[in-house]
Amino acid sequence: MAGHPAQPDQQPGGGFSTPVGSRRTFFHWITLAAAGLVGVGLSIPLLSTLMSPAFQRRQRAWVDVGAVDDLPAGHPKQLDHVTTVRDGWLETTSHKAVWAVKQAQGDIRVFSPICTHLGCGYRWDDLQNKFLCPCHGSSYDVNGQVLGGPAPRPLDTLPSKVEGGRLLVMYKDFKSGLPTSVEL
Amino acid sequence: MSSRLYNWLDARLDLKPVQRTLLDEPIPGGASWIYVFGSVTLFLFVLQAATGMFLALYYAPTPDHAYDSVRFIETDIFLGWMVRGLHHWGASAMVVAIGLHMLQTFLYGAYKAPREVMWMVGVCLFLIVMTFAFTGYLLPWDQTAYWATQIGINMVGTVPLIGDIASRVLRGGEILGALTLSRFFAIHVLFLPAILLTGIAVHLFVLRRVGPAGPWTDDRASLGAETFAPRQVYMDAVVIAGVFLVVAALAWSIPLPLTDKANPSDTSFVPVPEWYFLFYYELLKYVHGPLEPLATWVLPLCVILVMLFWPFIDRNPVRNPIRRPVALGSGLLFLLVVFGLLGISIRNLYAVPRADPAVARGRTVYAQLGCVGCHRIHGEGGAVAPDLSTVGDTRPDREWHLKHFRDPQSVSPGSFMPKFPLTDRQLNDLTSYMLSLKRAT
Repeated sequence: MAGHPAQPDQQPGGGFSTPVGSRRTFFHWITLAAAGLVGVGLSIPLLSTLMSPAFQRRQRAWVDVGAVDDLPAGHPKQLDHVTTVRDGWLETTSHKAVWAVKQAQGDIRVFSPICTHLGCGYRWDDLQNKFLCPCHGSSYDVNGQVLGGPAPRPLDTLPSKVEGGRLLVMYKDFKSGLPTSVEL
Repeated sequence: MSSRLYNWLDARLDLKPVQRTLLDEPIPGGASWIYVFGSVTLFLFVLQAATGMFLALYYAPTPDHAYDSVRFIETDIFLGWMVRGLHHWGASAMVVAIGLHMLQTFLYGAYKAPREVMWMVGVCLFLIVMTFAFTGYLLPWDQTAYWATQIGINMVGTVPLIGDIASRVLRGGEILGALTLSRFFAIHVLFLPAILLTGIAVHLFVLRRVGPAGPWTDDRASLGAETFAPRQVYMDAVVIAGVFLVVAALAWSIPLPLTDKANPSDTSFVPVPEWYFLFYYELLKYVHGPLEPLATWVLPLCVILVMLFWPFIDRNPVRNPIRRPVALGSGLLFLLVVFGLLGISIRNLYAVPRADPAVARGRTVYAQLGCVGCHRIHGEGGAVAPDLSTVGDTRPDREWHLKHFRDPQSVSPGSFMPKFPLTDRQLNDLTSYMLSLKRAT
């Protein structure tokens, strides 16, 4: 410790035999080294444990949502399917619905069923020929482009592919309220 | 930098007297490596608290999710298995450290006047730590946890008058279930830490009031003294770092697999307690019938009471162990009994390889090949071929089975059992499974 005058290694006499000077400094540094070893050795696993889930991406799987032939061309259809959702140690099956639109040329676009404004569920209105969100009145056309209301961006598109006549979709969630599509 | 900050704080908070109280306490006879166990125990408590907090980030104390959440910590969280390992081995290390701490106190006669209160509080702390161990054991909610706790609580039930109500309070009702798990969790992470911290505070308060005992010499006036810092602090720190490295090495190298998820209907499961309860587990095997309550509660209660009031039982004022033959003899006898039972128990456990993985693989092969179509094991399966429930007793010869599986007719002429195309490994596994089928002992 600083401030101690240079003295012989031990104080003489029958009283306190506390080490001073360089011996004291030696014990001080060994103590600090031991404390540092334990501190670092413990911090690594503990902080890893704390932060680990923040760096884990959810694993997603392709889910069969139905036969391609069942989709009417140019007309959105809501496709229900059961998907297994892993939430930490919890595994639940949940019913998800996506909106699929088959274009005239046969391309299929699949939209996330969540309005890009604040996360409500929208529906297709046959009379007005547009997607309508009941919460704050956002509306989108059949291609997902914004027609009106507070929606900041077009509907979010989900990855999809066709295999053996079946439509496969990878379900994702997106942040609401942003001008661009950001996956959760 | 740090000393400037210290001076700044000191000018405002007057820290120097606190530093003197904490670090400059005189140790009669000087610092020694034999005095480190109290600090080591305190460190291990901090380790348990820290790792426990981080495990609690993920643990869910319900029968539906407890097992899955522990498995999640083991497999999905980065270094989660390490934190669980540190908590597991930290608990064992804590029992060892307390044992050594008590042994040192006993040997040095440091429990004698004026330190009786410190000893008694220490015994209470020891009992609280054992309660930590008991409540923590249930939390993973696997078969071992469930059945070991079942037995522990049933033992409480054998105490006359209060046993029935006490065991129901422990369980939170008639059966070991959701309410048991949630209350064991709450006791383990909320009640006990609060109680233990209070106890530690009292233990250290008494230490500061009466001072450390120092060596057992009768001529105390001749003892020089040395302050707690820096040499005792250095010794404590070095041993603590060493203990941490050992605990970390065990956590790193020995996996802690869960057994199957707790299944209250599977009464065939034989649980084994943690090693520090093994001596007692062994003792219970020798005491049956009307004498059983003697082992389940009379003896433990007596041991606890004797430990607690030991400073008043041993009234010999001398601290030198050589001049305390009765105290030392009884202490030695106690240790001999405990470690003798522990040794027997460990030998029994390892005499029979309890869960040979080959047996489990063999059972899978048995299922895959459809052996159950003709053979019957414990009432399950067809009846056209020999019942195999105890084939390990009736045909203990490994070679016979190997030969038989390769070509049944070669050792059992006239048998209609087909030759199965088995790999060498499958052959061995299936044989191990056959040999494991014995009468229950």
